[in-house]
Amino acid sequence: MKAQLAWLDDPETFRVNQLPAHSDHHWYRNEQEMRSGQSSFYQSLDGEWQFKYVSDPTKLPDHFYRPESDHSDYGSIKVPSMIELHNDAQIQYINTLYPWEGHQYRRPAGTYDDQEQAGSFSQAADNSVGLYCRHFDLAAGLVDHRVRIQFAGVERAFYLWLNGEFVGYAEDSFTPSEFDLTPYLHEKDNFIAVAVFKHSTASYLEDQDMFRFSGIFRSVTLMAQPAVHVEDLTIKPQLASDNHTGIFNLNVNLVGDAFSEATITVNDAAGKQLLQKTHPSTEEVKVVDERLDQVHPWSNDDPYLYQLLITLRDDEGRVVEVVPYSFGFRRVAISKDHVLQLNGQRLIIKGVNRHEWDCRTGRCISQADMDFDIQTFKKNHINAVRTCHYADRLDWYSRCDRAGIYVMAENNLESHGSWQKMGRVEPSYNVPGSLTQWKAAVVDRARTNYETLKNHTSILFWSLGNESYAGDDLVAMQEFYQKKDPDRLVHYEGVCQRPSYRDRLSDFESRMYLPPKNVEKYLQNHLDKPFIECEYMHSMGNSVGGMGDYIALVQKYPQDCGGFIWDYIDQALLVHDPVTGKDVLRYGGDFDDRHTDGAFCGDGLMFANRTEKPAMQEVRYYYGQE
Amino acid sequence: MDKNKTMRIIYGDGTLGLTGSRFHYQFSYESGSLESMKIDGKEWLYRPIYPTYWRATTDNDRGNGFSYRSAQWLGADMFPRCIDIDLEVDGTHVDQLPTAPYNNHFSNHEQVSEVGMTFSYQTATTPAAQTIVKYTVTADGQIKVQAYFGGRKGLPELPLFGLRMIMPTAADKFAYDGLSGETYPDRMAGGVPGHYEVEGMPLTPYLVPQEMGMHMQTTNLTISRHHTLNNADHASTPFCLQVTEDSQPFNFSLLPYTSEELENATHIEELPPLRRSVLVIAGAVRGVGGIDSWGSDVDPAFHVSAEDDHQFSFIIQPAPVD
Repeated sequence: MKAQLAWLDDPETFRVNQLPAHSDHHWYRNEQEMRSGQSSFYQSLDGEWQFKYVSDPTKLPDHFYRPESDHSDYGSIKVPSMIELHNDAQIQYINTLYPWEGHQYRRPAGTYDDQEQAGSFSQAADNSVGLYCRHFDLAAGLVDHRVRIQFAGVERAFYLWLNGEFVGYAEDSFTPSEFDLTPYLHEKDNFIAVAVFKHSTASYLEDQDMFRFSGIFRSVTLMAQPAVHVEDLTIKPQLASDNHTGIFNLNVNLVGDAFSEATITVNDAAGKQLLQKTHPSTEEVKVVDERLDQVHPWSNDDPYLYQLLITLRDDEGRVVEVVPYSFGFRRVAISKDHVLQLNGQRLIIKGVNRHEWDCRTGRCISQADMDFDIQTFKKNHINAVRTCHYADRLDWYSRCDRAGIYVMAENNLESHGSWQKMGRVEPSYNVPGSLTQWKAAVVDRARTNYETLKNHTSILFWSLGNESYAGDDLVAMQEFYQKKDPDRLVHYEGVCQRPSYRDRLSDFESRMYLPPKNVEKYLQNHLDKPFIECEYMHSMGNSVGGMGDYIALVQKYPQDCGGFIWDYIDQALLVHDPVTGKDVLRYGGDFDDRHTDGAFCGDGLMFANRTEKPAMQEVRYYYGQE
Repeated sequence: MDKNKTMRIIYGDGTLGLTGSRFHYQFSYESGSLESMKIDGKEWLYRPIYPTYWRATTDNDRGNGFSYRSAQWLGADMFPRCIDIDLEVDGTHVDQLPTAPYNNHFSNHEQVSEVGMTFSYQTATTPAAQTIVKYTVTADGQIKVQAYFGGRKGLPELPLFGLRMIMPTAADKFAYDGLSGETYPDRMAGGVPGHYEVEGMPLTPYLVPQEMGMHMQTTNLTISRHHTLNNADHASTPFCLQVTEDSQPFNFSLLPYTSEELENATHIEELPPLRRSVLVIAGAVRGVGGIDSWGSDVDPAFHVSAEDDHQFSFIIQPAPVD
């Protein structure tokens, strides 16, 4: 297959040759590797890559992906990182309007100007391209195995080649994209090439209120699979209404050609074995409705995790692969009288919205950043996070499992530029709406989010996306989650803009920034869904006054679930200021970027350098109340 | 008269001086305020004390148009005008202010036990309002400050009503008894009462400099500096000023900048080099709000109406000597 730039213009082409999304489990050669956390099946391709920045697709060099092509004019870039912070492309911050506002005239496919779609991104002057390439030898642990490559996050559309052969194409910047490299792979001196485009039709769906970056901003990893391999697993740990009986269901999909035996064990946190089952391996291994007595429920106060271990053996009884996964037993539900409950008790969400942010590296964040954020949550009684408005690094969800942070796992979807203009609702070219051209793309985002993250106990709610108006395409996402995952709840706020969809979208009545007076009106009058503020207390600058009014309502009305403060951390960039000689924090407009929403990126309870704003003590006080 | 309970009063031609064992205070008839406050030989005033009405626009203020609606108070804050001065000596009203030549009958060794100086200011607003500030000085060097704002119908809401004291050099540290952190009337539930010591005059590094650093519900404040602008003062040992509550706790901020300086900066690094200390003792503070940053107003309970009267008082005194 030949790569086609025209895919950038077509909302119906969003994954080419990508492996299907699957559980985010890790796999190891043996238990010793597992305990060390270092799998010899994995090989990181993070580090220095050769790099060439091309200002738009019409200036692309021919055949850059061929190993024999001349790359002598290439510089280098660190993977992962953002291209803009490498100072090739201009930094821009913008909120609702599309980043090309005032520079390009565009309408999405299916709305206006359907004749104008060809070239709208693939030939566009604002569509910068990062050409990445490098050579690599396979590490010993990967030789003679099937090998896939995982890109954990790439903004915003990319093409992949290996040894001159086209491998595949991916969109959806914030979920992993995986491709099978086996057909093209050598043991030594492979040449990998990636063309990363800043824009594609996906840009209409990724209009998040944030600095607009591009590049390979999360890790790139080669992953080898042994002769038998757990390709996917689905853990359904249910907590019965007595709060001490666990019902354990497991579904393991195996791939490979040396099936022999799969051993499933479940241990408690002290290492005591609760369950062991050995199955002759087929393609699918199941544990159905296994009853476990006296399980320890999982919650914020007590995030108790059990350890699942899947061990695969070959026909000679040798261990081929071990797959661990931690999970908890918990039950999330809405009661008859519309009260959100966890393990049968009312659940109050004391949440924050959290963008992934580091003032030095943008959305390429570190382990230390994530550890710090969890500690900050615990210290300030923040018990919940909404992953606004995309899927986070996978290791964030594991941290939330361990720390007992309730997660609203939001899809990578925000299209407010298509219906919200200058603060008004103006949906004349809304996407995805009910447009057939956009449906598959958004359902795929829901599917990838679900399949990747489904085993995380911390995830209580799926969120369809943010500020994307409402239409049949969002209904299709909702239906996907309802069908796949009846044990969790689905959230979507944007339906409040289109009440006619109210019965088909969102298990919550969700609002953002609704003043306390109006919150109380809903709680007094129209109660048929639990109420939640997916964004409230806009912490821009010196703010967060009047929080007590919201907390009083939560205390007064059981149907008020609480909410997620907007937001956790300022988005601002640390830049060297030649005038003062200091490193200083900069915001929208400080890079000559226009159009911009200026300092509107600074709405955090934390400053961008991860120091607390004074308002945090107020949050600590109110979130610390029962 | 008992010398320990009296202080010397100097009936100057343009000023009124008061001197005690540890202090020298000087009121200026021309600037219409207290212009010098020297304690143990160290000057605490760089400019005369005037009422303050403006706070640097917060993001929420900008979003909901408050600064536009209340812009008159920025002018009033920057351009004070004293329209009347009143003097009481030992409880007796002095009908004729003793400026030259009405001071010619005094001597160089006049003693009094209590002096009350009252300044009336007219605000540069339409309609104009009046603020009255009374300083009552006793022989122990204590200054009781009482400020009163007379509301006028038709005036836009106040960002703040307080008094601003600009000190000649930067404070090294300050200590207070009050609430932890930066607090506002609608954001002080999380403030933990206690004794707090703060190094320097830290700015809250909001992306866009804005109102910051308010401390609500304070009973006691001690500010420490170690140098003066006096070229003949070669000492660098720390010295302190103490502010205490009068009948009610007070609110204060101590920053290196005025609200206008903060207002002008688009980034923290644009603020001028740190030179002085700006102490605002605030009687009335508007809440910061938080519902959103694009229109929602602060809860009316935390507005400061300029149609209503406001008053507050506090006490300045030489800090106890260790």
